[in-house]
Order: sequence, then C-alpha cells, then structure tokens
Amino acid sequence: MAANYWASTQRRHWLFTREKLAETRDRLRDRDKVTHSQFPLPDQRLLNIYFNQQLIKLGKRMSTRQQAIATAQVYLKRFYTKNEIRQTNPYLVLTTAFYLACKMEECPQHIRFVVGEARGLWPEFITPDVAKLGECEFALISEMNSQLIIHHPYRTLSELQTELSLGSGEIALAWSVINDHYLTDLPLLNPPHIIAVMAIVVAVVFKPPSHPGAFSSPAQSAQSTMAGVARDGNGMNMLAALADRTGTGPPRIQKLVQWLAESEIDIKAVIESTQELLSLYEVWEQYSEKHCKEFIGRMVKSKNLDK
Amino acid sequence: MSLTNPPSSGSLSRRTATVGPGPLKRSIDDTYDSRPSGAPGYTSKVRVRDRYHIVGFISSGTYGRVYKALGKNGQKGEFAIKKFKPDKEGETIQYTGLSQSAIREMALCTELSHANVVQLEEIILEDKCIFMVFEYTEHDLLQIIHHHTQPQRHPIGARMVRSILFQLLNGLLYLHTNWVLHRDLKPANILVTSSGAIRVGDLGLARLFYKPLNSLFSGDKVVVTIWYRAPELLLGSRHYTPAVDMWAVGCIFAELLSLRPIFKGEEAKMDSKKTVPFQRNQMMKIVEILGLPRKESWPGLVSMPEYTQLQSMVLHRQPPHYHRGANLEGWYQNCLKNGGYSSSSSVGTPGTDGFNLLSRMLEYDPTKRITAEEALQHPYFSNGGPISGDCFDGIESKYPHRRVTQDDNDIRSGSLPGTKRSGLPDDSLMRASKRLRE
Repeated sequence: MAANYWASTQRRHWLFTREKLAETRDRLRDRDKVTHSQFPLPDQRLLNIYFNQQLIKLGKRMSTRQQAIATAQVYLKRFYTKNEIRQTNPYLVLTTAFYLACKMEECPQHIRFVVGEARGLWPEFITPDVAKLGECEFALISEMNSQLIIHHPYRTLSELQTELSLGSGEIALAWSVINDHYLTDLPLLNPPHIIAVMAIVVAVVFKPPSHPGAFSSPAQSAQSTMAGVARDGNGMNMLAALADRTGTGPPRIQKLVQWLAESEIDIKAVIESTQELLSLYEVWEQYSEKHCKEFIGRMVKSKNLDK
Repeated sequence: MSLTNPPSSGSLSRRTATVGPGPLKRSIDDTYDSRPSGAPGYTSKVRVRDRYHIVGFISSGTYGRVYKALGKNGQKGEFAIKKFKPDKEGETIQYTGLSQSAIREMALCTELSHANVVQLEEIILEDKCIFMVFEYTEHDLLQIIHHHTQPQRHPIGARMVRSILFQLLNGLLYLHTNWVLHRDLKPANILVTSSGAIRVGDLGLARLFYKPLNSLFSGDKVVVTIWYRAPELLLGSRHYTPAVDMWAVGCIFAELLSLRPIFKGEEAKMDSKKTVPFQRNQMMKIVEILGLPRKESWPGLVSMPEYTQLQSMVLHRQPPHYHRGANLEGWYQNCLKNGGYSSSSSVGTPGTDGFNLLSRMLEYDPTKRITAEEALQHPYFSNGGPISGDCFDGIESKYPHRRVTQDDNDIRSGSLPGTKRSGLPDDSLMRASKRLRE
C-alpha cells in the first residue's frame, strides 16, 4: 500500500533474506562467468559509496533532497539484483534512477536538464541523446515491476523523535546513519522501522562526546566515530547489553533498552543491522574514488556499454 | 528554485493534445513497427499482443487511449487497456521520459488493492509505450446519469444512490487512509462493474500527501475538473487536503439526485501570460446555491489568496440571493420534488438524512467538511436498512453497455465536458496570487 508498509510491494516483493539475496546474485554471476573473471570489481559496498557520491554530485547541482537520493539508491539496488552490473553502463543507470526518483519524490527535473548535468560530470559515459535515458527508464521501471514507492526509515525516525525524546544531536547522527545504510544491502534486508531503530540505538549508544556541530558534516561524524568504536570493541559490548535486555549502563541507554523490550521490535535484526553498519565503516577505510572510477571506466569502455 | 519544477513532458503534451482516436489497428500496430530490427536496448519481456486480443476502442483523453481487450492464451476475462500516448518528436516516436503523472499512476495503482478502487492487472512497457491493463468495467456514473436523462428524465432510485455513495466513500476512505488524494473525482471516473460494484478509477492525478518534499501546491497548480472543484481551490488554496475529494463526492451525490451537475460553471481560460485566472463563474455557481462563504463560519477564508477576488464579486454584482444566505435546502427539496423522490413512491427518498450528509460534504470550510470516515457513519447510511454491495440490486432495467467502437471518429468522451481533464495547466505556471506577492 501506498503509505502502509505492511501491505506494500516493498515488503511483499523487495524484502530478501540474506540467503535469498546471495542466491540471487550467485545466479546472476553464474549466467556470465567469463565477464565476471574478466572484470573483477571492488567490494559492492565500495561501489555503493562511489555511486552514492556520484548521485550526490548530480543532485547537488539541482538542489535535490536527500530522500530522492535515497530512493535512487534503492532503485539501483533493486535493478542490480536482476541485472548484472557488467552488462550495464552504471553512469546511465544511476542518472536514470536519479531522474525517476526525483519524479517519485515530487521534486521532478526535466530530462534534458538531468542529461545535461550528467554529461557535465561524466562526459565520456553519457551521450547527449535524451532518448537513451528515456529508454533506460523503461528498463528500470520494468525490472522493478512499476513498484516505485519506497518506504524510508526517515519517517519512522521523525515519528519516534518525541516518543524517545531524542535530542537534535541524536537525530542528526541517526539521520546520517540512515543515509549510510543505503551503502549496504540493509535496505533490501530489513523493513524501514528496523533501520530507524538501529539508527537511534547507534545515535544514543555511540553519541559523540561533543555536539555534532563540532564536525564538518554529520555523515563524517558517524563514519569516524563509528569506525573508532568498531575498532576498540566498546560498541560491541553495548550491543551485547542490548541483547541481554538487562538494562545495564547509563540511564539514557537503560531507557532505550526498556523501550525496545516493550516495543516487540526484532532486536536480533537491529543488532545484525548495527554490525552490518560497523563493518561498512571498516570497509570504508579502503575506499578510493579513483580506484572505483577506473574499474568502472575500464569495464564500460572495453565492453562498449556506453554506446 | 526556478529549476525545481520544470514542465514535465507529459503535462506539456496534455495541453496540446486533442483526442481523436487514430484507427485502432494502426494505433496498436504502430508501436511494433517503430523499432529498427536488431537495435540494442530495452525490449519488453511481455508483449501486449501476445497476452491480449484488442476488441475495440473505449475512450481517449489527453493521456492517451483506452481499449477494450480480451485475455489470450488461457487468461480469461475482459480488460481495459490504457495506452499512454508517447510524446512525438517529429514523425518518429522517441523516448522522451515519462510524465510525472504517468509515473504516479503506475506506482500508486501497483500498490493499491481494494474492492472499491479500480484493479490493475499489469503494466506492460513495450516499444516506447506504457500499457496499463485494468479490469474492464461495463459502466461509469457519467453514463448511468446520462441514461437516466434518456429519453426523458427518470430518477436514479434512492437505494441505488445510497449504495453508489457508500461504495464510493469506502474506496475513498481506503485511498485517504493510505495518504492518497484522488484529486479528480467526477462521474466519468467512478466506474461501475456489471455486478454493481463501484470502483474509483483514473488515478492519473492522484498523489501521496504524506509530507511531500515540495508542497502539494507547487506540483500541478490546478486540479479537478472545474465543476467538482472545491471552493478552497477556487480561492487559490495552496494546501490540498482530503477535503477536496469530499467536496467532489458532494457534487457527485447532488448530480446523482438531480441528474445535472450542481455547480455547472464555465471555465475561465488561461490568459497569454499563463497565469491561472480566478474562476469567477464557477465560484458564482456555488454562491448561487450555498450563499456567500462567510468568515464567521470559515475563519480561514480571509487568508485565501483570491479573497479579494471574492470580495470584488460581491461589489460588482449583488443579486438578492447573495445575501439571502444558504439555500441548499431549497435546492435539495426542489430536486427531490422534480425527481419524484418520496417515501411513498417506488423510487424512495434520500430524505433529511441525505440532505444533512450533502450539506456536510458541501461545507465551505475544508477543515469542517465531513471526512470519508465520518460520512460512512452518517445516519444516511446507518438508518434505513442494509446497503447492497451491488448498486443494481433490485433494479429491473438494464443499463446500456459501454460503447466500444472500431472506427476512428468517435470522440464522444473527449468532447463532453466533465469527461476531459480541463484546467490542468503544466507545472511551470504561476498563479495570479503568486505573481501579486512577488
């Protein structure tokens, strides 16, 4: 349903178990083993970081909102569960996902404008012909079975803000954690409310000592704080405490643990998501934009996917 | 912010498009011949012609055309296939990006599922066209109302009106609880199956109203066919709420009883500067029956962008009824009398409960207007026995079937007012009020 997650196509058709998702990807790979060995690509999450950065670049010049970027990222994920990335021109696909997401999120951009901007960013990979993007739009919609309405965790976050009396620092951190979860498979593995709760837990448990204004951007604060936490293992102890539901620790966390216990939220899923996020922050340290760019460029050029 | 709302290609085509259906065979076939063979790119996995046998043409609008089809290869049933018209650049059809309204309709219909909302079977994207396959409905309210004016006026039975309205509200409640505004309710969009089930149709203008990124105002500036347009929209409101749909339901209720649009105004066309004019004539039609809106009963009235226009209406013309106050009750009693509605006749009567419900739907103040949920609990429905889910229940006469034609010169539904989407300028338009502010 349009505004009811429980009846939505997102829940019915785009929620995978880890096994199912792995199976789906294995099947894609098995279909084209040669290309796979010919064009090894970086870790999927590193690619996701790269794609996200490209989307943000594209969006920045059109003052697009974060939610449209998030929707575009989910479209990309869905599309690439059904299509081998090595058969596509990722620049065209991400531009199309962006164009479509803007329409769905009620901030439409004209196709010519989007193509123009994309060409400005990736002149080697985007042709001036808008029909290319129009055609890719058909492919994208078709592969997603016209299931274009995306339920994001942002909404749950703002709904829980009052109930859990979250401060603005916590909200900002939780928001950036939600932004980051699009860099992982989590949007395909969890309902949005699990992600929202995970983000709140992270924000409350791992809150940086100073107020978030001290950081240049919330996203960076989440990444740097969390990477540190992941290394020293303190966070893991917190998570263990959550799992016990014993309510040890500072009163703020006790209160949250109690709320979680009463809410009947799948705590296991919340913890797994947190771990997924922490491991993202670990992988992130290996990220090199140049590296990703080269991989993709080589792949697209040698297979003539930009034509 | 000037670049955030460019005209979508779809809305541009909407204004220029007129509606004569092309020859049926050619139109469906065209889509297959346009692609050079062997060209790479998108190819549909499903083909319309493999799955459906097109039996005729139903109607057309600015969005494209609707065809009647039968399922093929073991797929049973009748279908209505809505083919979105692709934009043309020169002679050949090109991919030009789908219009936002097509995207909305596809996305919403894919999610929705309710007994009183039209059922989508599938969407096929093939050769630069979109085909939305819906269940086929034999009737619609426009056609039913029209039937009751032929050869002379005879009223729609009170029981049938009650069933229609109940089902309509039920479908609308479902949409509203799911944060979907229909925004274009009118008799032609209320579909009726041969077994008397009501289906809210044509979600081409529908959209989600849960915290949209841009205000609902900034998307399409004006919606809803003018006769069914709520007063707050006529007065330039920036906030669409479910109340705009409820006003339209009130108008439809009135039309079912009187067999004429209750507020049949003339649409003021856009001027050359593409500003949306104040719909003075339409507002006047409403005022003639409801009296002038007053700030005492509608506190928000004075902050309406077109409030000064409303005041000038009062200054310029002051027919006596402007000050006589509301006479909806007079209209209603007259309507019952003319229609022959009475408890002693076989037609029955919607009675005073019906009047009360109607007056609550045609409440000026959108914040006081009855909601779909409240309306369903209204005495009009709770009194007077069970309501059939088949609006034809107990009715002897048969309604004519939907016209399905083979020829290419039937522009029936395109030429009738109330069946086309009028007053839908493209997204780049500015309202007079906005212009004044700047």
